[in-house]
Amino acid sequence: MKARARNLIALVGAPLFWGAIVLLAGVPYFVGSRFLIYLGTLIAIEAALATSLNLIVGYAGQFALAHAAFFGFGAYAASILVATYGVNFWLATLIALALAAVIAALIGYPALRYTGGIHFALLTFAFGELARLLAANWNDMTGGPMGLRVGFSLPPLAGIDLSSTRAMYGVALSIFVISLVAVAVLIRSRFGRALVAIREDETLAAFLGINVLGHKLLAFISSAVLAALAGTFYAPFMSFISPELLNAQEVIALIGILIVGGVGTLPGPVIGTLIFFGLPEFFHVARLYRLVSLGVVIVLVVLFMPKGIAGEARARFRVKR
Amino acid sequence: MLADITQTFLDGLMVGGLYTSVAIGITLVFGILGVLNFAHGQMVMLGAYVAFFCVSAGWGFAPAILAAMASMALFAVVLERVIFRRVANDHMAGLTVSLGLIMIIENVAAAAFSPNPRTIDAPFPGTIEIAGLNLPAQRFVVLVIVAFLVGAFYLFLKKTRWGKAVRAVGQSRTGAALVGLRTDRVGAVVFALGSAMAGAAGAMYASLFSINPYMAGEPLMKGFILTVLGGLGSVPGAVAAGVLLGLAESFGSRYLSASFRDGYGFILMIVCLLCFPQGLFGARGKARV
Repeated sequence: MKARARNLIALVGAPLFWGAIVLLAGVPYFVGSRFLIYLGTLIAIEAALATSLNLIVGYAGQFALAHAAFFGFGAYAASILVATYGVNFWLATLIALALAAVIAALIGYPALRYTGGIHFALLTFAFGELARLLAANWNDMTGGPMGLRVGFSLPPLAGIDLSSTRAMYGVALSIFVISLVAVAVLIRSRFGRALVAIREDETLAAFLGINVLGHKLLAFISSAVLAALAGTFYAPFMSFISPELLNAQEVIALIGILIVGGVGTLPGPVIGTLIFFGLPEFFHVARLYRLVSLGVVIVLVVLFMPKGIAGEARARFRVKR
Repeated sequence: MLADITQTFLDGLMVGGLYTSVAIGITLVFGILGVLNFAHGQMVMLGAYVAFFCVSAGWGFAPAILAAMASMALFAVVLERVIFRRVANDHMAGLTVSLGLIMIIENVAAAAFSPNPRTIDAPFPGTIEIAGLNLPAQRFVVLVIVAFLVGAFYLFLKKTRWGKAVRAVGQSRTGAALVGLRTDRVGAVVFALGSAMAGAAGAMYASLFSINPYMAGEPLMKGFILTVLGGLGSVPGAVAAGVLLGLAESFGSRYLSASFRDGYGFILMIVCLLCFPQGLFGARGKARV
């Protein structure tokens, strides 16, 4: 009897969850409060970042700690290209994404040649710090520690006006959906199964004829490009960017979101984002308490519930045949 | 010209020494506990504040360094007991836990000490003249202290019973446990000593630069670079890499470009990963990843 109830939950759990997310995403549209739209946009961007980070951390098992750097790179590159060089925004986005892919390949190649991921974690962390210092010290280009005011809004695409906050929310949602679909498709493909094999045992994966370095590198580049994509749209949305975007705390917050929600699951990043950005922003919790409690929760979850919420739920309600 | 080069050389040695005292803790804790401790930079920051408060309270600089070392060692013992022992040898869990600790320590410190930068007056103002060279006295003192600390630590590892135990656990945890070593205690000692070194580094940072609760990122990044350069888990490697990085930074910023100062180490690290996979001193298969 109990087993049957479990099977039922396992079958309807995922559709119910995604249905609830779709309803939740629609709320700001229908309520029409400026605050809710702002909050929804923030959450959508953050969820997109967490989802793309999940590809390299959760599925490939490689600890990439430069996600905020790629996010910030996208934001800075797009704004500088548009504001200083007068490039069209959509073209600027494409250039920024291509540059992000090149940078990711340049950092990823030396570090991912080693098994185990410690070298990769060290190198990406150092790169993140370097990028932050560069953003803070390259005054002529980035405006230095005071940040950069972004004076443009999104130009219309295919005749649709995108400059209103409501349209911005739609754009942010589509970036989230793009990231989610990209990750979902990738992990269900042969490529994604190879990634999981690499995560579980790199030596064995190599024996099975999987190009370990190539797969890890491709996963890292994809996740970096998706992060840069979120960044390019963040700049016109916030109309202000600063080196704070590239702060190590931002990466740690993303890792925390993954850990709490459930690393290596599709709903995990969404659950984590709603808990860590949704709840505190909604109740206006001060930044200090939010960050400290995030740290406490990270520590507690790693020690006592390492699979996270989604992982725990999946393990508990599994369809038994 | 020669004087200029000598001065740049000594400056590089000092900076490299500071980096080394941070990196020793990172590399040893990784070698013994199998945990990459990202919160190690927070030990530098907390040590700097302990020194700041001691000097402000009218203690001298020497007691301030000792207080910073002792308090960080104590803090590390507590952390090891409560948290790190549970995640020993699980790379990813250890790394994630230490990321969470960064969040807690950094933000509590910002609330408790205020985010404003603080400075202490250099305990040894003025300059020393040696063989026609004018050296800022404080930098010279820091160089001497760092050389003493790193040397003492090295002797501890090479000459004492406890040092032998640490090296044994580093070589083989199981083997060490089989011959009757208390590996958990060795882990705690290593954690405490590494953090004490970081605390001392923090005190010396405070005597040279202004400090703030968010200062941990830079020493941590430099410590990581040394850890990779020297080979994961190798103390002599970290020392050599520290000297190398310090010299590269001071000569690079003196003769090439000062604004790219933080980039030199990163380039060194990439080159090292491409050409010396095991790090400079890790040739015996020390990279245990």
